[in-house]
Amino acid sequence: MTRPQRPKRSLRLRLLAGTLAWIITTLAIAGWGLSGLFQQHVTEQLYARLATQLEQLTANLTVDPQGNAVLSGELSDPRLHRPYSGLYWQIDSVSADGRADKRTLLRSRSLWDTLLSVPEDAPADGVLHQHRVDGPQGEALLMLERLVYPAEAPEQGLRLIVAADAQLVSEPVERFNGLLAIALVILGLGLITAAVMQVVIGLRPLGQLRRSLQAVHEGKAQRIEQDYPQEIQPLVDDFNSVLNHNARIVDQARTRAGNLAHALKTPLSILANAASRPDDKLPGLVREQVAMARRQIDHHLAHARAAAAARVPGMRSEVRPLLESLLHVMQRLHQDKSINATLDKDSIAPIFRGEKQDLQEMLGNLLENAWKWSRGRVHITLERSGEQFTIIIDDDGPGLPAEQRQTVLARGVRADEQVPGSGLGLAIVSDLAELYEGALSLHASPLGGLRARLTLPAAGSQ
Amino acid sequence: MRLLLVEDDPTLSEQLTEELTLAGYVVETAQNGIDAYHLGEVEPFDAVVLDLGLPQMDGLTVLKRWRAAGHTMPVLILTARDAWHEKVDGIDAGADDYLVKPFHMEELLARVRALIRRASGHASAELKCGPVVLDTRSGRVSVEGRSLSLTSHELRVLAYLMHHRGKVVSRTELTEHIYAQEFDRDSNTIEVFIARLRKKLPAGLIKTARGLGYRLVCPE
Repeated sequence: MTRPQRPKRSLRLRLLAGTLAWIITTLAIAGWGLSGLFQQHVTEQLYARLATQLEQLTANLTVDPQGNAVLSGELSDPRLHRPYSGLYWQIDSVSADGRADKRTLLRSRSLWDTLLSVPEDAPADGVLHQHRVDGPQGEALLMLERLVYPAEAPEQGLRLIVAADAQLVSEPVERFNGLLAIALVILGLGLITAAVMQVVIGLRPLGQLRRSLQAVHEGKAQRIEQDYPQEIQPLVDDFNSVLNHNARIVDQARTRAGNLAHALKTPLSILANAASRPDDKLPGLVREQVAMARRQIDHHLAHARAAAAARVPGMRSEVRPLLESLLHVMQRLHQDKSINATLDKDSIAPIFRGEKQDLQEMLGNLLENAWKWSRGRVHITLERSGEQFTIIIDDDGPGLPAEQRQTVLARGVRADEQVPGSGLGLAIVSDLAELYEGALSLHASPLGGLRARLTLPAAGSQ
Repeated sequence: MRLLLVEDDPTLSEQLTEELTLAGYVVETAQNGIDAYHLGEVEPFDAVVLDLGLPQMDGLTVLKRWRAAGHTMPVLILTARDAWHEKVDGIDAGADDYLVKPFHMEELLARVRALIRRASGHASAELKCGPVVLDTRSGRVSVEGRSLSLTSHELRVLAYLMHHRGKVVSRTELTEHIYAQEFDRDSNTIEVFIARLRKKLPAGLIKTARGLGYRLVCPE
């Protein structure tokens, strides 16, 4: 008993690992994307509000006759009046080339005694610039600025600045991220549960199949019953047909073994009886019964071999080289009998659709038979007819009477008891030919003896 | 005639040795492929009876190796394997004959006789040399129709000379083919057998090739 090999990877684990990796990756990307989008949205919203404040500031800005910038009215947002509230404005003067000259003209009350430091840049007239700067208490500020050249004093440029605490953006984003994480984790758990269930339910037929096979293995069942999904059913059908084939072979083997055992019991009991009553006839009796036993063994062995002939699809055997090698063997084995064996030169070179050894067995037996009876000539012809080919073997021996030609092919019937093994060979050829859906028939030969016609399936030439 | 019998079943080997010895052959046996191969390599045999299913080295391999090494002695395969592809394999490996077990002893003897006869180039079962006729089937010798009585050693010497008539056969060659065991061999006794044969056979038939050996000269 060989130890069952450890499976390399569980199908279930593979499916689960793949799905898990995919779910986690997708959710992470989705979370990152959503959070980014939300942050962008909140930031834009804040800038939009700052832009409104800037508009208001611009609208309220006037220049008095002395050339000083003054606000015609206070801005409405109360936060601009509360110190360090997080919302600020400031107006700086700008030199003619647009650079800040570091002079702050006006600022919101919320700035109290601090100033907003502005990056040195020169936005074109009417263009809004966004910046991220440090605020009066070191906090991050989002800032919006523009340059204005009042109509009253166009040479005196003014830089209008509004700014808001960046926390106005980061706080909602953090809240959103927290909620998003919870939502994604719940979604992930849901998906993973679904994947696990899918894998478990999807692979359940395989587990069932394994249990069925186990049952067959333990002998509790003959075949795999039940219906399986269409992906597995062909496998199950194939397996069942293998099981059936095995069962049939075992059955045949058992029958043959039984037949052989029974057939051998008779000669054995005759021998045992004779041995217990020793007399002069013993050697003759032993010889006769051994011959009988041998005939039985030959018969059953030959038929067992024919029945077990594997019919593997896709087998091809060339006929001509095989015939030539068999003729060589026949000449070698029967050197005392000079037989002029001829193989039709012009005939075709067919390919047998089947196993080489079976073809050898059939042709060998036919040639053996021809050699045994021939007086000096054996002639072989090959013919092709559609999907089949025929091998015709003629000899110039005594031939067989018409009424014996059929019976000699029936199992185990012997045309002539004097020549050992005669008849059996032809019956084996007939059995083998039938297994290949071919046929063996016997006729009178133009050479004067027996003509054997063996028809077998041909393989297409490649 | 010296035979090598390669058979791993001791009972069958014993039976065959007995029958072959009775038929006038000098029989050496081997029970496994390795021993068989070495015996065939080292010693001259007139024929080999070879089983295929042997321990250590199977019969076909033994046969192929002999043939590859240039040994041409006739080989008869004696086996239970009776499928045709096995016969083809046997003949292809260089066997001269193929006999399937179970077999009749008479058939085996007839086939061995035929093998040896064909190997020395004789077509008939009866070997003739002038008035002397040797029937290889029965081992009987007659001179002008009169039956001649010979001892088994005399018969072996005469049979070997008849198979190789016209050729010079050395004393060593004769001893090798007439005695089974090394320790029996004494080339002086060959001279004794030759002397006795010369008395029983017509004069002038067995010539001595000085320093080389003997030659059977057959008048036309």
